[in-house]
Amino acid sequence: MRIAEVIGTVTLSRCHPAVQGYRWIISVPFSLKALKNQTAPDGEDIVVLDELGAGQGQKIGVSEGVEASMPFHPHKKPLDAYCACILDSVTVQ
Amino acid sequence: MQLANVVGHATATMKHASMTGWRLLVVQPLTTEAKPDGEPQLAVDSLGAGVGHRVLICNDGAGTRQLLGHKNSPVRWFVMGICD
Repeated sequence: MRIAEVIGTVTLSRCHPAVQGYRWIISVPFSLKALKNQTAPDGEDIVVLDELGAGQGQKIGVSEGVEASMPFHPHKKPLDAYCACILDSVTVQ
Repeated sequence: MQLANVVGHATATMKHASMTGWRLLVVQPLTTEAKPDGEPQLAVDSLGAGVGHRVLICNDGAGTRQLLGHKNSPVRWFVMGICD
């Protein structure tokens, strides 16, 4: 899971039937440098399926790859990023 | 499996049910030259690794689901061992 900051949301007018009705957020992953210096995230933004209700500016844990669709197993969904947790605190030294 | 440095820890109230009760560490995977390899990752830990420790992390999702005892866990990385 990468740590990312929520910067926005996406809505879809038409979508794959398996992912209808879900909430989508845009998030930007943090590099080690950005986490250490507590600056803005500096990765490439990704769209993430969100079931927890993450809000603008919050830090989240983004699960990627096969694990992104595991919460829906045995149902198959075409996902590559899933918001697994909303982080209350991230301490990096 | 990859070597990593533990650089911090994280807490979360709202999370996938499978992660309840597990320590969440911020780990930085390393290259063979011990340079940072990509972005830091969140890993679950049952061994009690702390900040500054060099650990062995595993990205076997099936192994993690077995460890957490949850068939639907979205977690991929877990701390497999603490290096001497």
